[in-house]
Amino acid sequence: MIKTENLTKEYNGSKAVDGLNLEIAEGEIFGFLGPNGAGKSTTILMLVGMIEPTEGRCTINGIDVMRNPFEVKRIIGYLPENAGFYGHKTATQNLDYFARFYGMNTEERNKRIQELLELVHLEDVKQKAGEYSKGMLQRLGFAQALLNDPKVLFLDEPTANLDPEGVIEFRNWIKRLSEEGKTIFLSSHILAEVSRTCKTIGIITKGKMVAKGNLDEIRAKLGQDKTINIIIETAGAIPEFHHHDIMRAEYDGNKAQICAKSDIRDEISDYLFKSGIRIRGMRVETPSLEDIYLEGVNVKDEWTA
Amino acid sequence: MNGLLNVAREEFFDHITSKKFLIILGLFLIISMMAMSEGIEKYNDRLENYNERLTHVKESGMPSARFMPEKPSILPVFRAMSSQLPLLGAILALSLGFDLITRERESGSLKSLLAHPIFRDGIINGKALGGIAALALAIFIALLISFAMLLIFSIVPTADELGRILLFGAIAVLFLLSFFSIALMASTVSENSGKSFLYAFLIFLILSIFMPVFGGMVTDRVIGEPPGFNSGHLASESVQLGAEERRDYDQARSAYWEKRHAVDDVINLVTPVNSYNKIISEVLPYASSSGTTSLSLKEGLGKIWANILALLIFPTVFFAIAYVKFMREDVR
Repeated sequence: MIKTENLTKEYNGSKAVDGLNLEIAEGEIFGFLGPNGAGKSTTILMLVGMIEPTEGRCTINGIDVMRNPFEVKRIIGYLPENAGFYGHKTATQNLDYFARFYGMNTEERNKRIQELLELVHLEDVKQKAGEYSKGMLQRLGFAQALLNDPKVLFLDEPTANLDPEGVIEFRNWIKRLSEEGKTIFLSSHILAEVSRTCKTIGIITKGKMVAKGNLDEIRAKLGQDKTINIIIETAGAIPEFHHHDIMRAEYDGNKAQICAKSDIRDEISDYLFKSGIRIRGMRVETPSLEDIYLEGVNVKDEWTA
Repeated sequence: MNGLLNVAREEFFDHITSKKFLIILGLFLIISMMAMSEGIEKYNDRLENYNERLTHVKESGMPSARFMPEKPSILPVFRAMSSQLPLLGAILALSLGFDLITRERESGSLKSLLAHPIFRDGIINGKALGGIAALALAIFIALLISFAMLLIFSIVPTADELGRILLFGAIAVLFLLSFFSIALMASTVSENSGKSFLYAFLIFLILSIFMPVFGGMVTDRVIGEPPGFNSGHLASESVQLGAEERRDYDQARSAYWEKRHAVDDVINLVTPVNSYNKIISEVLPYASSSGTTSLSLKEGLGKIWANILALLIFPTVFFAIAYVKFMREDVR
């Protein structure tokens, strides 16, 4: 549904997005993860036809975005980061203005706007958009992105201004939209948000894609060079254990923490058994996805520096 | 096309319901109507004087057209309104245009707008169209009130006067368009509304105050003083001239004024206020249009076509800059 080929954007000789190749299937919830300034918003702006790539191309549902931005905009919805509206208009007036671009008649517009305002709980708000809180603007932005019942939805930092209750509700909306078969492209710098909402994740830093796949694949890819922490507890004092994969080890009476290049639990348990020491517990402490992500992003930074 | 009209419609209603539009238009109407009211009073005095002279001519038995008094025109009444436009009208036009794009950028609504199926040129053209429509409405309201005032005083314009008044309306819109396009251009090239206002106002000052004042000085510098008599005395001085000397002097003087008018015309062309004033002096003459002192509308237009063309080219140039800048802009 969404495809980019060598998508590149340069600003004053510096590459904000560098040769991005991406393919997202229909109905997928894709999380685009990366630190601030990584190139997430620039990628989205190229995908929605707002800025022109320096190189490469992107298509939505087979339509070339640069050649047919008008057709693309008919089938997509876009929630920008910090969604902006006309401050002197109410939510209904703002949505009505945007809905007119889709050629809806008055009845269709009124019905759709009412549905969406109920969805985002702004149906009873009479204030003008200029008096809205950031959270309210974000919810209005979400309604605006759904005006044309889009096939593909681009959401740029959608939960940035929402309160915890709003975030949970947002996740439910995404789930429901995904069940309806919509393709969702969600960009965020918050790992927890992406990992909870998205089926597939792509990690970008300094304009380049570092990893793409589901959570396990990401973990495997970024975590493949990571060390393993083995925590051991025995009935008696633990004797010092030697292995070429051990990087460091800390012994404290009947407890030990061994940091190794590979999973050497079998070798440790054999050694302890032969030494006549009973094992009370042994577990591997895997790095969290956040640790892997942060390390992955840093590694990439070093590569691209 | 649908998108363009949607933007234009929205802009038009936003303009005519905005406080700044209503306040400046209100001020313009009040001042214009006060000036018009004074003009109508003078017109009535002139009309009374005309009637008296007409009666006198008839009673004295001098039927020749030479002795017939000239019927006063209502056009000077509209001249009073036209004189308010270079300041208040220009401020109205600037106020409508200076934040058209910057405000959208600042609020983030430009991204929301561009996310929907509309081409970029539809946005900039729609904004321009909405602004022009609002300015045309302002002039239309002003003319409508003026006609109402004329009717209250039982004054009915002739067909020629009506044509000239309507032409004045069109020229007024064209003049306001110059300043609107300057403001729109400033809004497109500026980072924020504050800077945009500053740039637009600066250009307004240069065109409305600096150019008309310093234009004359430039002409003086380029052309120099009018030719004097060969003895160094000016022609106005009572000097006894021979026939040949008189002819040489007349030729030099005529050449000087031709040259001076040519330079003035060039300066006028690049100064909307001067162009506007020149056009108005032909379209709304002080003397009666039927009299011998002024040209017919057709003849008058022949004299000022270059100024009308300048008033068309001026907004086109600034709008073209705004258009190109907006089309190439990366919305981030």
